[in-house]
Amino acid sequence: MPRTPRRTRTLALGAMLTTVALAAAGCSSGKPAPGPSQGTSSDNAANINATGQPVKGGTLKLIGSGDVDHLDTASGYYTATYTLERAYTRQLFTYPASTDPTKSTTIVPDLATEIPTTANNGISADGLTYTVHLRPDAMWDTSPARAVTAQDEVLGMKRLCNPTPNAVGAPGYYEGVIAGFQQYCDGFAKVSPTIPAIKAYIDGHDISGIKAVDATTVQFTLVKKANDFLNILAMPFSSPAPVEYLNYLPDDANFRSHTISDGPYAITSYTANQSIKLDRNPAWTKASDPARDAYVDHITVTEGQDEGPVQQQLQAGTADMQWDTTVPTASVPALKATKDPRLGVYPSGSTNPFLVFNEQSPSNQGALGKVAVRQALEYAVDKVAIGQIYGGPTLNTPLGQAIPPGSLGYEKYDAYPTPGSKGDPAKCKSMLAAAGYPNGLVLKDLARNAGKHPAVAQSVQADFKACGVTTQIVPVSQGDYYGKYLNLPSAAKAGSWDITEPGWVPDWFGNNGRANLEPLFDGRNYGPGSTDWGDYNSPAFNALLDQAMTAPDQATAESLWHQADQQVMKDAAIIPFETQNDAMFRSSRVHNAIFELFSQNYDVTEVWLSPGS
Amino acid sequence: MSADPTPGGAPEPADRTPALDGAGLALAEPPAAAAPRPGAADIEGRSPWQLAWIHVRRDRAAMISLAFILLLALLSVSAPLLAHWIGWSPTDQDRTQGLTVDGLPVGPSGRHLLGTDNLGRDILVRVLYGSQVSLLVGVVSTLLAVAMGVLVGLVAGYFGSAVDTVLSRVMDLVLSFPFLLFAIALVSIFGSSLAISVFVIAFFSWAAVGRIVRGQTLSIREKEYIEAARSLGANDLRIMFVDVLPNLLAPVIVYTTLLIPIAIVFEATLSFLGLGVVPPSPTWGNMLSDSLDFYQVAWWFPLFPGLALLLTTLAFNLLGDGVRDALDPRAERLFQD
Repeated sequence: MPRTPRRTRTLALGAMLTTVALAAAGCSSGKPAPGPSQGTSSDNAANINATGQPVKGGTLKLIGSGDVDHLDTASGYYTATYTLERAYTRQLFTYPASTDPTKSTTIVPDLATEIPTTANNGISADGLTYTVHLRPDAMWDTSPARAVTAQDEVLGMKRLCNPTPNAVGAPGYYEGVIAGFQQYCDGFAKVSPTIPAIKAYIDGHDISGIKAVDATTVQFTLVKKANDFLNILAMPFSSPAPVEYLNYLPDDANFRSHTISDGPYAITSYTANQSIKLDRNPAWTKASDPARDAYVDHITVTEGQDEGPVQQQLQAGTADMQWDTTVPTASVPALKATKDPRLGVYPSGSTNPFLVFNEQSPSNQGALGKVAVRQALEYAVDKVAIGQIYGGPTLNTPLGQAIPPGSLGYEKYDAYPTPGSKGDPAKCKSMLAAAGYPNGLVLKDLARNAGKHPAVAQSVQADFKACGVTTQIVPVSQGDYYGKYLNLPSAAKAGSWDITEPGWVPDWFGNNGRANLEPLFDGRNYGPGSTDWGDYNSPAFNALLDQAMTAPDQATAESLWHQADQQVMKDAAIIPFETQNDAMFRSSRVHNAIFELFSQNYDVTEVWLSPGS
Repeated sequence: MSADPTPGGAPEPADRTPALDGAGLALAEPPAAAAPRPGAADIEGRSPWQLAWIHVRRDRAAMISLAFILLLALLSVSAPLLAHWIGWSPTDQDRTQGLTVDGLPVGPSGRHLLGTDNLGRDILVRVLYGSQVSLLVGVVSTLLAVAMGVLVGLVAGYFGSAVDTVLSRVMDLVLSFPFLLFAIALVSIFGSSLAISVFVIAFFSWAAVGRIVRGQTLSIREKEYIEAARSLGANDLRIMFVDVLPNLLAPVIVYTTLLIPIAIVFEATLSFLGLGVVPPSPTWGNMLSDSLDFYQVAWWFPLFPGLALLLTTLAFNLLGDGVRDALDPRAERLFQD
């Protein structure tokens, strides 16, 4: 399965969040988040090939299919882009490279000197003001090299909602959270997308909630408390930007050939859809960077190869790492059978696919609006069979809940258990009859017409048939799937679809309710672009959501998120199928391959290559 | 699936016309003009159609192809019966024994004679059912295309001048359309279905027929017997359909047999791209599409639908070649013995 870029899965997320009244409060306690805890992959978690003494040097060769979506941190939203941004950008906070799932989803300082807390006066008593101190020794690769300052951080934030098509992909994480951000962006939207106009607006307007107190101190003021604010600052969107970036239109072709780096590597060559080359950034020092080791001298990305040829090249050793593809699922069993040490299987933290009920659908006299009907159908699906489509139990674990492992609030339970997770058609049938539909239902299943999606729809079709429910598959292209159907309440209300099987990868892991349950199930702001596709709207859930976001600490939030999950499942808003693992393959000369959830790839700054290879 | 025309094994008639082209297709003369030469008087009362049939019968490749096509048609019609007898419906998912734990298809065995696909479904039954779609779409869309092509070509060629200019430009327009883009756009608007597939294929095929028919009509309408008909008082409609059309039958029949395999491949292309018949209905195209991820570990998965597609298009093409040879008056052996 080629990895779906983050952006396509969360396409509508940003639009949705702009309209959401975020009821977040409390503060980030920095407590460890629960990590992915899947037994199936624990043996592979240790498979990093760390044997030997790390050596510097060599060229790490990545190979894959497509290009980055953007090189500008303001808009880069693909996981592949994140893989590279790890090398040439830095943020105030980041996630460390670690095989310990708890550590790898817990924020650490990057450009900041420490994690702000109320104890160190980083967070004000009311939880609304965050003061972040920057380390003085992080440098841009300008000539002469110049320190990364608080002003650069402010500029990075001010560029986010620029009036070009290359604006931030998820404005909602900022607009409803930081004071003055919404007003600043509303004004920016009216500016013509030219270099002088953008520069003039940025120079002439400030975001009231973001202030450079001095060169190394930046202060954020929030509209409401947000106990995940540091997670937001750890997103690459929140990277600082050098003042030189004002000389370009955000992420245009000229920009892409003039990126400026504060990470250990700098982009020295970029050819769209063909190749990217990074060399060491001479301005970077290990002493200034607690999160990256930067062992290899060069990183190259070669694009234009599908997952099959990529796999062949990796096995032949002519390339080292995947760029944006995964191991073809059909190849995994053979590699696993031979215990190939170059194969790594890692939890992706996703819930993919899952079934969404269109609760507004008028078909079958609005049957899907009834909880009892949806609850009956929860028992219908053979989740093991769905897992087989995606490569079987090595790569899939049946999921019984809305929160996948890797996210705060995950607890292993199955709200609708069936024998071996293989479905219970008899129970489904009897419950459906009890709900008033002894003759079953006729449902339209909206399915994308490529990849594994048709197979999933046909598997569900067979399962539902056993329960007396007829499904008609409505095949649509990937482009139309969101644009013409899921993002449009009118399509849902008209009954263009009754059920559908999308997937979801949270934008970050750990304390991520804002990037997970909230966009998927908060029905209070249902409208065009909403990712609560089925228009689930439960006052009980909404109350729990608000409490979780305002929870004073992460432990309290964790229990509230779990309760919210239980509420979603009790209301049977979705049928969760699987959480998936990514099958990664690397050449034998790659050492210290540490899988990073955030980019769904190995951390390129931690890899070192066999000497003399 | 059983008959194999083995094209390499069939000896080619030595005097076979080498390639299909518009001019070579035509009966340049009306049937009346194709009189037997003197000295062949002992061959009694055979019409050109009988002669053509005799010729086709001698063409082994064409006959084997015809047999294959008839067998395929029979299998396709009796697919439900055969499926019942084999024991699997085309949508039955044999998840326990038709799939490995890791979701890989299972190879040919007593349980599944030609193996299973990515959902544990029986490939033999699906290939049989797939032939229904292929033949149906192939034949129906070709008939539609030919009907439309003949009509437009006839009108354009017969009336000439402004009518010809307009209709010919329309044909040029259709021929210059990017087929797949158009298909994708249509499917995105109307949703995919069998009817849309048939329409799209017919829409992209008629113009080629129209051009050939127009060219032939242009030359036929100048013939003396047309003039004669007109002087006898026949109106345009009568001349077009009674005097001109029969003389177009030969090229039209040849083109029809050659258009069917093209339509079958069109349909497979649409299904391959997920734009054709809606799952779970099996078609050879969507089976090939499903097999993409598995060809390295399950050879039987792409092989059998691929073979079915290959043999069917080959059979129609060879039959079309044979028919063309038989109907082309320039292939002199029509009258040799």
